[in-house]
Amino acid sequence: MKEVALFIPCFVDQLLPEIGMDMARVLQRAGCAVNFFEEQTCCGQPAFNSGYWQDARPLAERFVRVFSRAEAVVCPSGSCTAMVRRFYPDLLAGTPAAEEAKRLAERVFEFSEFLVNVAGVTDIGASFPHRVTYHDACHTLRELGIREEPRRLLRGVRGLTLVEMANAEECCGFGGTFSTKFPMISAAMGETKAAGAERAGAEYVTSTDPSCLLQLDGILRRRKSQVRTIHLASILARTEADGTNSGNQE
Amino acid sequence: MNAAAEAFLREAAATAANGELHQIVRKGVEHYDAAVERGRARFLDWEAARQRCRKIKREAIDRLDLYLEEFERRVNERGGHVFWAETAEDACRYVTDLAARAGVRTVVKSKSMVSEEIRLNAALETRGIKVWETDLGEFIVQLREEPPFHIVTPAMHLTRRQIAALFREKLGGVQTEDPQELTAVARRELRRAFFSAEMGVTGANFLVADSGAIAITTNEGNARLCSSLPRIHVAIAGIEKVIPRAEDLALLWPVLATAGTGQAITCYNTLVTGPRTASEPDGPEEFHVVLLDNGRSRLLADPEQREVLHCIRCGACLNACPVFRTIGGHAYGTIYSGPIGSVLTPHLRGLAEFQHLSFASSLCGACAVVCPVKIDLPRHLLQNRRNAIAAGLRPAQERTGFRLWRWAMENDRRFTMFGWAARFGWKMARRAGLAGTALDPARRWTKAREMPEIPRHSFRALWRKTHGAG
Amino acid sequence: MAQVENPARERILARIRAATRSVPSSRTAPDARPIFAPVSGPLERFRAECAANATECIVVETASERGRALADLLGGIPEGEIFAQDSPKVRRALALSGTRQIRWSSEGAPSENSQAGVTLAEALVAQTGSVVVSTACGGRGASLVPPVHIVLADTSQLAPDLPAAMETIRRNGTLMACSSVCVITGPSRTADIEKILVLGAHGPRRLVVLISRESD
Repeated sequence: MKEVALFIPCFVDQLLPEIGMDMARVLQRAGCAVNFFEEQTCCGQPAFNSGYWQDARPLAERFVRVFSRAEAVVCPSGSCTAMVRRFYPDLLAGTPAAEEAKRLAERVFEFSEFLVNVAGVTDIGASFPHRVTYHDACHTLRELGIREEPRRLLRGVRGLTLVEMANAEECCGFGGTFSTKFPMISAAMGETKAAGAERAGAEYVTSTDPSCLLQLDGILRRRKSQVRTIHLASILARTEADGTNSGNQE
Repeated sequence: MNAAAEAFLREAAATAANGELHQIVRKGVEHYDAAVERGRARFLDWEAARQRCRKIKREAIDRLDLYLEEFERRVNERGGHVFWAETAEDACRYVTDLAARAGVRTVVKSKSMVSEEIRLNAALETRGIKVWETDLGEFIVQLREEPPFHIVTPAMHLTRRQIAALFREKLGGVQTEDPQELTAVARRELRRAFFSAEMGVTGANFLVADSGAIAITTNEGNARLCSSLPRIHVAIAGIEKVIPRAEDLALLWPVLATAGTGQAITCYNTLVTGPRTASEPDGPEEFHVVLLDNGRSRLLADPEQREVLHCIRCGACLNACPVFRTIGGHAYGTIYSGPIGSVLTPHLRGLAEFQHLSFASSLCGACAVVCPVKIDLPRHLLQNRRNAIAAGLRPAQERTGFRLWRWAMENDRRFTMFGWAARFGWKMARRAGLAGTALDPARRWTKAREMPEIPRHSFRALWRKTHGAG
Repeated sequence: MAQVENPARERILARIRAATRSVPSSRTAPDARPIFAPVSGPLERFRAECAANATECIVVETASERGRALADLLGGIPEGEIFAQDSPKVRRALALSGTRQIRWSSEGAPSENSQAGVTLAEALVAQTGSVVVSTACGGRGASLVPPVHIVLADTSQLAPDLPAAMETIRRNGTLMACSSVCVITGPSRTADIEKILVLGAHGPRRLVVLISRESD
């Protein structure tokens, strides 16, 4: 049995806890032993992306320390995964934590890539009889190179119809502090994305990044759209026994 | 906040809300996307092409002094003149002095971003010289007295109706909105200028060291006319434009075309090695190349960001950028817009005044994927941000905020406590009816979007409930 | 013009040297991975590419047939000056065109009113359907100023791809002898208005390549 440590991003912990719970359920169903290290806080990405590398660095070192004992680390956010895998080497270059960080980077996985590429699961026995469109979260797609894994998982869900947006790979406009530093640009980008989901005729837009979904949910509800958001983990956690009433952010 | 940053915020907010502009820009960009997809399909291995172009540029940039000297020597051998300009003013002064000495009254120009960078038109005009932009898009924006909207497609933001109205107003007698006929109007107008101008000014896409040649790429043929008909030809180029060998163009030309417009190769790829020779029937009597530094050698000294000088100005990163698609080229308030502009401008014109551009990005990475010379643009945006903080250019409030945030995050109990307080505070604010008001703590979010339902419990609380303590 | 000593040159070079001192120099290794599929059947490829880039390509057997094709073509071009590269080949070809008023490149540059330019080419590029001309092909304006550019070529001039064409130019010393060389791919064009393609922006509206299978 694979031992898995949950990497719950700080904003998921505080604002979207059900995504974390759903991910844990799915991982258990996939045969993993799931741990949660309570010492974890934030990977440091908000400070790193804002240029406050000296504030991000101790958090990165802390993260490496906390997760050093984990066999595999799984995260419901492609962006936070990318922070550890792709950006820690930059941030921690020349520090004593650099080597450990490099080793950890190889054991940190985004949720969908872990299921498909590590656990070898594409059908988790989920049921979600809805039309769903997949939003390629930027860091999942372009920093981690994950395009097919989430789609394969979605195709394995009973009753789910996967419909593609023409602009599936376009940014939703969240971008961390960008969303509040430049709210007008961010929101206009979100509107473009939301319109793409509506045109695709989807009932739900799903993704591998809760932060994108936070943005899209905020935009869609402000638009009084019929489209709802739901994280991939929450779709995979639904079984036929749950019925059809779902959606984590309704 | 400085004036440039304030103007950016104002303009960006205005264009972000301009649905009509989005539609025009999107239409242009979607047209481009489809063309580029077809263009890339012509390569057996596009990735190998990118890698090789990067290597070629790198070879030149890493030994820039040697290649520039070789280029200069060969140009001189053929009777051309090379002028080294440290600043925009130096470059402008050289060109305007030259024009004054030669009694130039009319200058025809082909599209050159470097000439925009040094504001050459204004410099020539203050000396009483008439300047004609001859690229159709540039001609249009010159008539509108505005800067180019996009480095490859200067009039991307305009409809044919707007262009027809502009021609009617400025040129008179134009009754059509048909692009073909509008192009013919511009052609007729500019032909007169080409045949009367005493000086032609062009940019250069590449400076070829081993041949002492400048390489100019255009579809319209206007750069060829600028470099063929007037008595004097001046080419202005950044020092980073040099490449080692003429044979490198066999790859750089198709790659530039594919990334820039989706074409297999641009219509005219011209090499100029000097003034006309004794046996040639036409061509300029004088050939001048202005090599512009204007901050580039400073950027070269930055080992992290030196690769920004690899840029071949194809415009692909602008087209790919969702921020550019949303706010357009003018809102940036800079000559170079889009991701490359946000990365480059602080180096050319100072981090203090232009650091805000590096923050105006969602770091989505679409630009890095399309860059034909593989410049890691998002990483340079991150580095600019870090450098801005290191230089103390961000508000003290933000600095303190992150310090406090770090303090909270360095301990999971503090994190839990702050998290709880924030959720509680937001709930109270909402209950008090502050949501959406000036006192709303989340107003920068809620202005344009809804807040999520705030959960009662954090993940860690739920986990404890179901799985017991850690 | 006398070259004035410019201290900026030394300052710029000094900054560049200081900036790159610690950078090891790199040489671009020869192509390890093929970037384009090799071109087989250069003439067929050239015709296909011409069709795609709006070049009119006419293939005939002999040089004299090429001359007749040129005469036919000029028959459809309005009255007025034809500008032509002054070379024996072009003179032979144009001899079949009867009484057209011809201005030879040896007499100067094409006038604003010339109706067509007739030139030879340095090379043809199959991969891209391009014509390579130099200032030896009647000067800079011959392929540029008239609204129609007619190129007389033969199949022996076909280079399979751009690297081969650049090699031809290098071998022939074209860049040493000529002040300008141009790789022309189709007639002049623009898409600056709403991305709609318009031919004949500033250069020729028509580019016609007359190729004979037999060299002359």
